[in-house]
Amino acid sequence: MSDPVTLTTDHPVQAAATPPARGRSRRLSDRWLTVAFISPALLLLLAMSVFPLLWALYLSFTDYSATRGGSANFVWFENYTAILTSAQVHMRALTTLIYVVGAVALQIVLGFSIAYLISRRTNGRGLLTTLFLVPMMLSPVVVGLFWKFMLDAQFGVINSLLGSLGVGPVEWLTRQNTALISLIVVDTWQWTPFIMLIALAGLTAVPKYLYEAASIDRASEWFRFRTITLPLVWPLLLIAVLFRAIEAFRLFDLVYILTSGGPGVSTETLSFHVYKVAFLGFNTGTASAYGILMVLIVIVLAQLYMRYLNKLKED
Amino acid sequence: MAVSVDKTVSTGPARGRTSPARRTSGRGRSVLEIALLTVLAVVMLFPVLWMIETAFKENRDVYAIPAKFFNFTVTLDHFKDVFVDSTGRSSLSTAFLNSVVVAGVSTVLATVLGVPAAWAYSRFAVKAKKDQLFFILSTRFMPPVVVVIPIFLMYRQLGLIDNKLGLILIYTAFNVPFTIWMMKGFVDEVPAEYEDAAMLDGYTRLQAFWKFTLPLLLPGIAATAVFALIFSWNEFVFAIFLTSSDSVRTAPPAIAGLIGGTTVDWGLVAAASVVFALPVLVFAYLVRKHLVAGVTLGAVRR
Amino acid sequence: MRYPKRIGRLSVAAMLLATAVACGGGADEGATSAPKAPADIPELTKDPLTLSFIWFDWPPAHALEAFANAEYTKGRSNVTIKVNTVPNANWHDAMFTQFAAHKTDFDIPILDSQHIGEAVTNGNILDLTDFVKKNIDVNAYNPYLLAAYGQYPQAETGKRDENASLYGLPLLGDTWTMIYRKDLIGDNPPKTWDEMISVAQKCQTDNPGVSGLAFHQANGSDAAAVTYNTVNGIYGGNLWDPKARKINGIMNDAAGQEAMDVLVNKMKPLTAPGSGNWFIDEVNAAVAQGKACIAFNWIAASGGLLDPKQSTLGTTREEILGKLGFATLPSQKTDLVPLGGMGMHVSAYSSPEKQAEALNFMKWFEQADVQKKWAAAGGVPSRTDALQSPEFLNAGPFNKVYTDSVSRMRDMWNVPEYARLVDIENTNVNAALNGAKPPKQALDDIAKEQQAVLDAGSGKGGGGL
Repeated sequence: MSDPVTLTTDHPVQAAATPPARGRSRRLSDRWLTVAFISPALLLLLAMSVFPLLWALYLSFTDYSATRGGSANFVWFENYTAILTSAQVHMRALTTLIYVVGAVALQIVLGFSIAYLISRRTNGRGLLTTLFLVPMMLSPVVVGLFWKFMLDAQFGVINSLLGSLGVGPVEWLTRQNTALISLIVVDTWQWTPFIMLIALAGLTAVPKYLYEAASIDRASEWFRFRTITLPLVWPLLLIAVLFRAIEAFRLFDLVYILTSGGPGVSTETLSFHVYKVAFLGFNTGTASAYGILMVLIVIVLAQLYMRYLNKLKED
Repeated sequence: MAVSVDKTVSTGPARGRTSPARRTSGRGRSVLEIALLTVLAVVMLFPVLWMIETAFKENRDVYAIPAKFFNFTVTLDHFKDVFVDSTGRSSLSTAFLNSVVVAGVSTVLATVLGVPAAWAYSRFAVKAKKDQLFFILSTRFMPPVVVVIPIFLMYRQLGLIDNKLGLILIYTAFNVPFTIWMMKGFVDEVPAEYEDAAMLDGYTRLQAFWKFTLPLLLPGIAATAVFALIFSWNEFVFAIFLTSSDSVRTAPPAIAGLIGGTTVDWGLVAAASVVFALPVLVFAYLVRKHLVAGVTLGAVRR
Repeated sequence: MRYPKRIGRLSVAAMLLATAVACGGGADEGATSAPKAPADIPELTKDPLTLSFIWFDWPPAHALEAFANAEYTKGRSNVTIKVNTVPNANWHDAMFTQFAAHKTDFDIPILDSQHIGEAVTNGNILDLTDFVKKNIDVNAYNPYLLAAYGQYPQAETGKRDENASLYGLPLLGDTWTMIYRKDLIGDNPPKTWDEMISVAQKCQTDNPGVSGLAFHQANGSDAAAVTYNTVNGIYGGNLWDPKARKINGIMNDAAGQEAMDVLVNKMKPLTAPGSGNWFIDEVNAAVAQGKACIAFNWIAASGGLLDPKQSTLGTTREEILGKLGFATLPSQKTDLVPLGGMGMHVSAYSSPEKQAEALNFMKWFEQADVQKKWAAAGGVPSRTDALQSPEFLNAGPFNKVYTDSVSRMRDMWNVPEYARLVDIENTNVNAALNGAKPPKQALDDIAKEQQAVLDAGSGKGGGGL
C-alpha cells in the first residue's frame, strides 16, 4: 500500500487494477461507474453551491433588492467600487483582521503549549486530551450564549471571581477594546483544542530516536525543541493555522450572539456587516457584491491551504 | 492513519532521558508542568462545569452575587422545562426533534452521495482529478452568511423557505465535500487488490465494491457520518435565516430564541444547552480515533 | 473536464431565471400598491382551518394564543389559532424574508408600527380602508392610536388623517413605564426628567450596590434608538420633518444635542457598569434583583416583575408591589412618550379563505366586550372604553400608566427605509453610550447617515453600506 496520506495524485495501484485480458470492456464499465458514482455528488454541489454563487455574481452587478420587487437595473461595477472605497467597509475589514490574527495567534500559542505539555506526560494522556476537546464540540450558539452569561458585568461569574480578587467589574462586552478581546477569548476558548489536537498529532509522530540521538549529544532542551520538534510539527501547524484563519474569517454566529457587533459597530466583522446589508435593508445587489469579494478572499486562503497540504503530503 | 486518543496514551513520553545529576531539577520541572496543565484544564473546563451547574440551580441562585459555587439548592425544574411546558410538549422539544430529522436525513444523504464518489475518485483515473477535488473542498469553505443570500433567493422560487427539506439540502451540500475527502482517505487504505481478486473470480467491479470493499469501509463511514451529523446538529446560520416557524425550526435557533424575550431564564438556557450538547459529546467520544481527520475535513490524516 | 461546460449552461439558466424573477417582481411596483381587502367579510369556510400569526417570543404572544383559542373558537369552532414566535432579533427578518418570497406561513403578521411603510410599499399586506369603514367603529378609539397601527403615509403625532388608507388594526398597545423603588425613593414618583435624574442620583449614592437608572441601551432591535428618541421628545426635539423628508439639521439641532447630552452625560453615569448592551430582559433582571432605583421598560414586558419566582424583592406579588411603583414618564419641555405595541395586518400571500378568516378575527377582536376580555387576559386593548374599564385597570399595576399615556404618544418614522434608519440610530447611540464615539459626533453621524438613506434613489450601486 502506498503512503495513506496521498491525496490528489492518482492511485499507483490503478495500473495493476486492469488486467490486460478484459481491458477494454472493463475500462468502459469503469468509466460508466465513475460517472454514475461521481456525478450525483457533483450535481448537488453545482446546484447548491455553484449555481447560487453565479446568481449572486449576476446580482452583484445590479441594484436588485429582495423585498422591494421591481426590476434589477444593471449598475455594473458600482457596487464593487462603493464597497471597496467605503470607510465603513474598511473599518470592518480592520476589525476582522485584528480578530482573525488575534484569535489564531492566541490559539497557536495556547494549543501548542497544551499539546507539548500533554505529550510530555506518560499517564492520563487519553483522559486529558478528551477533556480538553469538549469546547470544540459545542455549537457556537451554546458557546456564545453561555459566555454572554459568564461575561455579564453584574451577574457574570467572571466578574464575580475577579471581584473576590479585588479587581473591579470589567465591562467585557460593552467597551470597544474589551468587546473585541472578549470575542477573541471566546473563540480561543472554543478552538484552542483544535490546534492542540493537530499539534499533538505532530508531536507524537516525532520519531523517538531523534531525541535519543540529541540526548547523547547532550543538546539543551531548547535546542532540541528548536531543531527537532518545531521543524517536524510546523508544517502540520501551518495547515491548522490556515484552516482556523478561514473559519475565523467566516465567523458570524459568535458575533451575532455575543455582542451583535456592539458597542456601536466596533465588533462588526465583515461577515456580520454583509448580513446587515443583506437582511436589514435588503440591499441584495450590494450584499451579493460584498459576498463575492469575501468568497474571493476565502478562495485565496483555501488555495494556500491546499498548496501547503499538498506540500506536506509530498514530503 | 488517524491520531487516536488511545494511541497517544500508549506512545512513550517524547522527552529524552535526563542524566542522574539533572533528575532532581527534572522532577521539579515535572511538577511545574503538571501544575500548569491542571490550571489550563481547569480554565478550559470551567465554562462547561459552570453551565452544568447553572442548569441545576434555582433562578434565585443563578443571579446570586457573589456567584454561588457549592451551596445552592439543586433543582431539576429546568430540565423538565426543556421538554414540557404548560401546553404539553414544549417548543424546545419540537425543535430537538426537528434537529434529529434534519441532521439525520442530511447525514444519510451526504453518505449515500459521498461514499461512492470517494470510492470512484480513489480507484479510477478521473480527468483533472486534482482540480475536481479542489473544487469540491472549496465549496465547503464558503462563508455561510454569504451563501445564504442566493440560497434564500433560490429557495423562495422553489418554496423551500421555512421547510425542513431546504435545510436538509443545504446541509447535505455542505457535508458532501467533507464526506468525499474523508472517505477518500479511508478508501485509499483499502488495497485495490481485493477488488481485483474478486473480479478475477467473476464479480463485476460494482459487485466487488459492494461485497468486498464496502464492508471494510464501514467503520470509516460511521466515523464520517458522525462528523457530518455533528456539523448539521450544531449549524446555526442557515437555520436562523431559512426557517421561522416552530414546526420547522431546529434546536440552535430555538435555544438562541430563549433570550431576547422579557426575562432570561439562564437556568433553562443552560439546561437546554446541556441536553443539546450531550449527544454530540457522546458521538465525538465514539469517533475519537478519527478526530484529527474529522475536524480538518479529512485533509490531515495522521 | 466535464463541469466547466455545465457551469456555462447553468450560468445562462441562472441569468434567465434571475431576470425572470426581476421582471416578475416588476408588476407590483410603485408606492401604495397593496392589494385591497373587501369591504365585507367573504363567506367563511366550515372546514378545519388554522389561522397563523407571527410575533416575537414574549408573554403577550403566548397570552394571545391562549386567549384566541379560548374565546374566538366559541363562535368559530373549526378554527385553531397558532401564534408562531421568533426571537425578537429575527422578528423583522422572519416576516420580511417571507414577504419577499411572496409566500407566508402566517396569515396575520404582527408588525411594529414602523414596519408598515416597508410592508405597504412592497405590497405585502392588504389595504383595509374599506373593510374598516364598514366593520369597525372608529369613534371608539383615540384617533392617533387607530392611525399609529394602521395608517400610511404616517399620521402626524396625535392625529389621524381620515382620508389616508388604513393597513392594520391595533392588537396590543404599549408605551414605556417608569418603574421606581417605593422603598428607596418614596411613594411619589418624580414629575420632571431633571427631578428624576437627581432622585436617581441621590438613591444611587444612598444605596451602594444599587444603580440609579436602568434603561435600554443595546444596539439590536430598536433598543438604544427608542431610548434616545424618548429623551429627544421630552427635551423638545424632533426626529425629522416628514413633509420635506429632512433629518439632517432637525434631529441634530440644539434640542437634539441637549437630549443626547442628558442621555450620555447625565443618565448613563447612573446606570450599572456593563449595562451598555441591556434591552428588555436585562432591565427586568436588574429590577427583579433589586439593582436599580428607577427603570424604564415597555409596559407589555413588565408582567414578569411581579412573579415572585423571578424576583428577590418579595415572596408574594403583594410584597413586591409594596416595593415597586409604576408611573407615567416624567415630562420636561414636552410630555411625549414613546409609542410601542403592534398592530395586526393581513398577509397579501395568504389563501382567500384564510384572509377572510383573518378579517373576521379582526372584526371580532375589536368589539368592546372582547377588548375587555383581552385586557383581563393580560393584553393591552386600544378601544377607549376598554382602556377605562375596570377589567383593564385592575389587571395590572401598570395598566393605568398606559391609559394615562395614550394622549402623549409619539412614534418614529414608518417609512420603507425604517430598518436601515433604526440600525444607524441604534449603533450610534449605543456607541455614544459606551464611549465608542463622542455624543455630538454620534448624533451628527446619525443625522447625516439617515439623511443619506432617505435621499438615496434606486439605480445606484452600494446601497445599504
